[in-house]
Amino acid sequence: MLSADLPPMTVVPALMPQGPFALWRSESGILSLQADRCPHRGMRLSHGFVRGEALSCIYHGWRYAQNGRCLKIPAHPRLEPPEAIRVETYAVTESGGLIWGCLETPAGAPPNFDGFAPLRMMSVKVSPQMIATSDEVDRRADGALAIELAGQHCLFLARAQPDGSTLLFCLIEEAAAPEARIAVSRALELFRCRLEADDLQKEAL
Amino acid sequence: MIGPMMDAWYPVALESRLGTNGRSTRLMDTPLHVARLNGGAIEIRTEDGRALPVRLRYGHVWTSLGAPTTDLFDIPEADQPGRRLVEVGVVRVRCSPLRAVENFLDIAHFPFVHTDILGAEPHTEVEKYEVEIREKEDEVWATQVKFYQPQAAKSASTGITTDYMYRVPAPTCSVLYKTCPARPGEWDVITLFVQPLAEDLCDVWPWMALFDDESPMTDLIHFQQMIFLQDRSILENQIPRLLPLDPGMEIPTRADLTSVAYRRWLKRHNYTYGAQLVAQ
Amino acid sequence: MKLYDYILSPSCYKIRLMASLLGVPLTLRPVDFHPGEEHLTPEFLALNPAGTLPILADGGLLLTETSAMLVHLATSAGPDWLARHDPQAAASEQQWLSFAHRLTASLGGARLCDMFQRPGDLASLQRQGIMALRELEVRLFEQRLRQQAFLASDRPTIADIACFPHVVLAPDGGISLDPYPSIRLWQRSIRGLPGFIEMPGIYRRHELSEEPDPDAANETAEQV
Ligand SMILES: N[C@@H](CCC(=O)N[C@@H](CS)C(=O)NCC(=O)O)C(=O)O
Ligand code: FES
Ligand SMILES: [Fe+2]
Repeated sequence: MLSADLPPMTVVPALMPQGPFALWRSESGILSLQADRCPHRGMRLSHGFVRGEALSCIYHGWRYAQNGRCLKIPAHPRLEPPEAIRVETYAVTESGGLIWGCLETPAGAPPNFDGFAPLRMMSVKVSPQMIATSDEVDRRADGALAIELAGQHCLFLARAQPDGSTLLFCLIEEAAAPEARIAVSRALELFRCRLEADDLQKEAL
Repeated sequence: MIGPMMDAWYPVALESRLGTNGRSTRLMDTPLHVARLNGGAIEIRTEDGRALPVRLRYGHVWTSLGAPTTDLFDIPEADQPGRRLVEVGVVRVRCSPLRAVENFLDIAHFPFVHTDILGAEPHTEVEKYEVEIREKEDEVWATQVKFYQPQAAKSASTGITTDYMYRVPAPTCSVLYKTCPARPGEWDVITLFVQPLAEDLCDVWPWMALFDDESPMTDLIHFQQMIFLQDRSILENQIPRLLPLDPGMEIPTRADLTSVAYRRWLKRHNYTYGAQLVAQ
Repeated sequence: MKLYDYILSPSCYKIRLMASLLGVPLTLRPVDFHPGEEHLTPEFLALNPAGTLPILADGGLLLTETSAMLVHLATSAGPDWLARHDPQAAASEQQWLSFAHRLTASLGGARLCDMFQRPGDLASLQRQGIMALRELEVRLFEQRLRQQAFLASDRPTIADIACFPHVVLAPDGGISLDPYPSIRLWQRSIRGLPGFIEMPGIYRRHELSEEPDPDAANETAEQV
């Protein structure tokens, strides 16, 4: 997820390879990454709302802290929720304009892409392998894919989705002007069209 | 495996809307056709030609895939003079039929899902109420349920504390009784009849028997459709889609005693079509 | 003004929402669209031969197209909602008003199919819906680069209201909104406008009201 796509007091579904997770930013700007399933009756927490420093479930309003602990059950407003009620919480950090989540203990800091800043994220209905093996991209040593779009040097980060599709992050040179960004974004749409059309053709064979 | 839910009655059409083309539909993965014959009679057959039993009651056409041991449950209020019978129509929902019923039994969501209509913050507290499984009728009942509501019914103009009773007479049907603003002392009847299409897909047919001589019929229909569609956006986003019967999977509180009893009753009868038995 | 209305129709909601944002009172005439199909009765076909809702009647004026209704509401009660300040914005507004009809056909069609079992090719409607969402996403992204939070301008116009309902209700037709960050920010801005009203499936932003204090309910109850 791009930092710019997540203002304070919002929650979104973070599309991880393992499925969606609830990613939210508190009023003071703190990020949390939690399971997208409320322990009460299974509602997706990414449909909830962020008030102050807590995430509330949209179904019955149970409130969760950044550490996952249930703070409040509105049906019993004066009850201190038992310690045992908590939503699974994972490591999350922000670097270079991107938000990085990790479902295990992080092995180190997220990678750095010096000189590049994120432009957009999009979903592509082909596998990450198909993107990585496209003639248009070159795999770099750090795992990112280099590509030239609308005459600009760009990087792709491709993440698999549970349904076999890809979540694609496009980075562009930090210095790029707004017009160049728009041109790259449009070229990116075309790139996606080409990939998806190729994929359909392959399937047809 | 369908199990004993095979022998229960399910709604498959609205009698008044069943035209000469009939309705092709499904019941627990079995395709069937509800036909209106020339004389006006209604016949239900599975794809392989097997005729199924038919009951016409509460505005709907009911059937069963198995051999029902009891007749369709009774709602005595349905025949009470002076009630307006409201056919709300059908809405398809991608969820377990059991989740749809459980949501209907729940009041704690009113302030968040039906905001400013059936509930509003800060009035979120659910007071203690009574729940029992009535052995003679073999039904789940919740009584003395109370909730503060800004606009409890189409005919309500100010907030009131509304009394409720809930009843589960069949695995995918629920009847609720609520304070009737127009006739103190009587109960309005609102039902949720759920037609299970698959374990994780259902057609929901709300139906009502109300004392309200003022509101136009369309207003009554729209009020209930509005409420149910608010629920639908919840029901399609619960994980897992099936109703977990494993007690470790979801955490209830005292406000959920009706849901707890409903789950226990389902388990006891092996009514598990649409349920998840072991946590995955 | 009298609106022939159906509570679950995103098209009718456009008009209710616009009127509420403008503070224009509407007289609602609920129509039994489902299950009664009242909009197809002779009385209604006489009003609107196309057999669609909404219908807006204002004096002698009878409108059956939502874009025209939005223009009429804004012209009479809130000219700020029309992108008249510069030719590009004005053209862009028209572009989105027309685009909104594609949303009605694709996302709206998928919703009718999926939710009310209207006949139709659901898979193909969903494909067209996704194409439309992608188009909206890329344009809204460009608007963000121009520091504009709305479709045609830096402030909301009737174009936003024309597109908003069907987009937010896309999941009703089985189309996920998860992968569209710019659409998410845009619809969040609309849901934050003063005078915003809900429809089933489109929630208010609960975070905009205060977290109640546990004793607040007792206090108000005592006041009553
Ligand atoms: N003319 C309307 C059309 C809106 C529309 O399609 N409305 C639906 C209700 S959501 C409708 O009336 N459909 C008629 C039908 O499906 O029979 C517009 O300008 O947007
Ligand atoms: S499901 Fe989240 S609060 Fe009930
Ligand atoms: Fe509800």
